[in-house]
Amino acid sequence: MNAPTPMAGLQPPAPLSPSAWPHLPAMVADVAGQHADRTAFTCVMPNGMNGSLSYAEVQAHSDAFAHYLRAVCQLHAGDRVALQLPNSLAYPVALLGVLKAGCVAVNTNPLYTPAEMAHQFKDSGAQAVVIVDLFADKLEAILAQTDIRHVVIARLPEFFPPLVGGIVQAVLRHWHRQVPRHALQAVTLADALALGRAAVPGPASIYREGLGPDSLALLQYTGGTTGVAKGAMLTHGNLLANLEQMLAMARSRIEPGREVVLTALPLYHIFAFTVNFLVMFRMGAHNVLVPNPRPVQNLQRAFENYPITWVTGVNTLYNALLSEEWFTAFPPRHLKAAGGGGAAMHAAVVARWEKLTGTPLIEGYGLTEASPVVSFQPLDGPRRPDTIGLPAPGTEVRLADDEGDPVAPGEPGELLLRGPQVMQGYWKRPEATAEVLKDGWLHTGDIAVRDPDGVLRIVDRKKDLVLVSGFNVYPNEVEAVLAEHPGVQEAAVIGVPDARSGEAVRAYVVRRDPALAIDDLRSHCAARLTSYKRPVHYEFRDELPKTPIGKILRKNLRAEVLSACQEA
Amino acid sequence: MLSDFETQLLSVMMMVIMLGMGASLTFKDFALALRKPTGIGIGLVTTYVLTPLVGVTLATVLNLPPAYAVGLILMACLPGGTTSNIFNYFSKGVLSLSLLMTVVSTLFAVLLVPLILGLLTQNIEGEWRIPPENVARVLFVLLVPTLIGMGLRKWKPNVGAVIEMVGGALGVVVILFLIVSWVPRNYGLLLTTPWQVYAGAIGLGVVGFAVGYAFARLVRQDKRRARTIALETGIQNGPLGVLIVLLSFEGSQQQQVLLIPVLYSLFIVLTSSALTVWFRRITAREEAARDNAKIGALPSPA
Repeated sequence: MNAPTPMAGLQPPAPLSPSAWPHLPAMVADVAGQHADRTAFTCVMPNGMNGSLSYAEVQAHSDAFAHYLRAVCQLHAGDRVALQLPNSLAYPVALLGVLKAGCVAVNTNPLYTPAEMAHQFKDSGAQAVVIVDLFADKLEAILAQTDIRHVVIARLPEFFPPLVGGIVQAVLRHWHRQVPRHALQAVTLADALALGRAAVPGPASIYREGLGPDSLALLQYTGGTTGVAKGAMLTHGNLLANLEQMLAMARSRIEPGREVVLTALPLYHIFAFTVNFLVMFRMGAHNVLVPNPRPVQNLQRAFENYPITWVTGVNTLYNALLSEEWFTAFPPRHLKAAGGGGAAMHAAVVARWEKLTGTPLIEGYGLTEASPVVSFQPLDGPRRPDTIGLPAPGTEVRLADDEGDPVAPGEPGELLLRGPQVMQGYWKRPEATAEVLKDGWLHTGDIAVRDPDGVLRIVDRKKDLVLVSGFNVYPNEVEAVLAEHPGVQEAAVIGVPDARSGEAVRAYVVRRDPALAIDDLRSHCAARLTSYKRPVHYEFRDELPKTPIGKILRKNLRAEVLSACQEA
Repeated sequence: MLSDFETQLLSVMMMVIMLGMGASLTFKDFALALRKPTGIGIGLVTTYVLTPLVGVTLATVLNLPPAYAVGLILMACLPGGTTSNIFNYFSKGVLSLSLLMTVVSTLFAVLLVPLILGLLTQNIEGEWRIPPENVARVLFVLLVPTLIGMGLRKWKPNVGAVIEMVGGALGVVVILFLIVSWVPRNYGLLLTTPWQVYAGAIGLGVVGFAVGYAFARLVRQDKRRARTIALETGIQNGPLGVLIVLLSFEGSQQQQVLLIPVLYSLFIVLTSSALTVWFRRITAREEAARDNAKIGALPSPA
C-alpha cells in the first residue's frame, strides 16, 4: 500500500533534543507545578469505584515519602527500595518518593512467588520495600533472607475517598479473602507519609545533591524467562532520554494537559513504566490506572467513565478488547491513538482495531535493557503492518550476523543498538553485561530485517526459531497467518523435535468459533504458507500461557512437549 | 399486617433498591441487551412464560384458595431483582448474563407484568384480583428511581457504585426487616397456615431454579450459564410483590394476600443461599479441574 522510498545505506539517527532536566525529580517538580490542580492519576476498580490524586497531591505525598525514606529510615542516596505494587495510587507516590530520595527503585511483580521475590530482593540488596497488603504473607516467608529493614504496606484502594476505600478494602478482606494475615513489623503507607511529613516539612529537593543523569534510578529485572533474572541498571538520564525519544515520535497527538491515558498494563513492567507513566506524566496527562485487566471486562467502567484518548497494550489485550461486545458496540469516542508493543502485534488485530476505532494503533519495539523504546511506527506518516518502524531519534541500529559482521541489505540479522536509552549493564553481573553490551552496542537477541526505506521488521527471537529440515521458520509469521483466520482467537507456534525434519512446527490455537476444526486450519495455512512453514501438529486450548503483561510464553509450551517426550 | 409507617418505609426502601438497580445499568447496557437475541429470548421466556406457569401450576395443584393463589401468581409474574445479581455474583455465575436478564425483564415489566397477571388471574373472583393498572402504576413509578440511579452513576461513578451495592444489599435487608417486624406478630398465623401455602411459597423458588436450569440446558447453554439462568429464574423481586399487595389491598384481605409474598421472600433467601454455596463449589471445582489439567501438562520443576 505505501510504496517504500528507497534510501541509500545506513541512515544516521534522527537528532534528539536533550532533556530539559538533569534528573526525574526535577522533571516531576516542574510538571507538577504546571498542572498542579489537574488530576494526575485515577485508579478504577471493576465496579467503577475509584480514587484520584492531583499533580499537586502526587508531588506533596511523594515528597513526604522521600522524607520518610531518608529522614526516618535513614536510607542513603543509591540505596535500593523495592516496589511490589499493582497499578494503584500508591505506585506513583512510592516510586516518585524513592526517586526524590535519590534512592533506586526495584520494580517487582506482585505475583512473584516467595522464591522469586527472595532472589530479586537479595540480588538488588533492597533495604526497604513497599508492598501491597494482598501479598504481605509472601514477604513474611522470605524477609529473613533479605537485607530489607523497612516494610511499608499499601492498600489497593490507597487514597480513595474514605467510604469508597473502606468498601473496596472490606470486600477484598472479607469477601474475596485476599488480604492475608501477617506478623510483619511494618508501617502503613499512610503512617509512613505522616512520619515523613513530621520529620522534615517542605519539599524533598534537599536530596538532589549528587543526583544527575548518570545516577541510577531503576533496577528493572528481566530475563527470568531464561535462567536467572538480572537487574538492568537504568539511570535518570536513560529514562529521561527515552521519554523524549518516545515524545519525539508521538508528540503530534499528545497535547500537554489534555490527554487521558488508560494504563491496563502493569506499571512494574518497563513498557507501561516509561510510556504510560513517565511520558504521560511529563505531558500532564490524566492517567487512568486499572489494577487488574483480567478479565478484560474489568476495563469496561474505565472506558465508560473517562474520555480515554490514549491506550497502550500488548496484542493479547487488544485482541481481548476486540472480542468484547461492550467495546465493539461502543468504541471509545475520544481515542486519538494506541500504542502496541511488548510482543509482536498481529496485523489482523491491528487492522480490526483501526477499523473499529478509526485511530492508528502504532507498533513499537523495545526491551528492558533499552528503557525500553527502540523504535516505533510513525504516528501520522505511512506505515506498514508487521514492521516496528524507524529507530527512535538518537538511536543507531545495525543488523549483524553471528560473527558481529553487518548482514547484506534485506537479510535477517541480530538487531544491535546504541543510544542514550541503553542501560549501564546488569546489576553486579559483569559477565552477563559483557555478553550483551559490546563497545556500547546492545545485542538484543532479536532477529530483524531492514527494508530498503530503513523501516525495521522483527522476524523473531533468536532462540524461538524453528529449524525445519534446515529451513528457518519464524513462529511469528505462522502465528500471524493463523490469527488471520476468523475462527481463531489467538495462536502460539513452537518447534518440537521431529525424527524426519529435525524440528517440526506445532501450533496451539484458542478458538473464537467453537466449530473450527483442524482441517480448516490446515487448508488455511496451505493457502498461505510454504509447506515447511505449515504446522504439522495442532492442538486446541482454552487459553495460552502468558506473562503478566500478556506475552505468550512459548517456552512453557516447549517445556510441556519436552517433558512429554521424555516420559514417552 | 403492616402499619402505615412500615408500608411507607418499605416504599422508600423499594425506591432505594430501584435506585441501586439503575446505578448498575447504563443506556449502553440496554442497547447491548437489544443486540443479543438469545439473552433477551431466554430472559423473556423464563420471566414471563416459565415462572408464571410454575406459579399457576403450583396454585392449581395445591388447590390454593384465591387469596393465596393471587399472591403466588403475582410473585410468579414479577421481574427478577438486583438480589438475583448479588447471588449470582457470590455463586461465581456469569454476571453479564445475570445483568442482561434483569435488564430485559425490567424493561418489559411495565407492559408484560400487568398483561400476564391479568391473564392468569382471570378465573379468580373479582374482589381478590389485583387491578393490572395498579401494577403498571407501581412499576412505572419505580422507573423514576431507576432512571435517577442511572443518572447518578453517570454523574459520579463512586456514588453510583456505592448505591448499587447498598441497593442490592437492601433487597436482603428488606427481607430481614420483614422477618423481624412481621414474623413475631404473626407467628400464630404462621402456625395455623396450611402446608400448601408453604409448599407454594417455597416451591415457586425451588421449582423455578429447576425449570430455569432445565430450560437453559435445553437451549444449549453451558453449565455455568445454566446455573446463572437457574438463579435468575427462581429469584423474583420479593419486596416489589409485597409493595404491590400493600398498595392494592387493605385490612384482613391485605394480610391474607400478603402471606405468600412474605413467605416467598423469607424462604428464597434461604434456598438461594444454599444454592449459591453449592453452585460456588461446582464452579470452583470446574475451575480447579481446568487449572489442574494445565498444571498436569507442565513439567514438574524438578
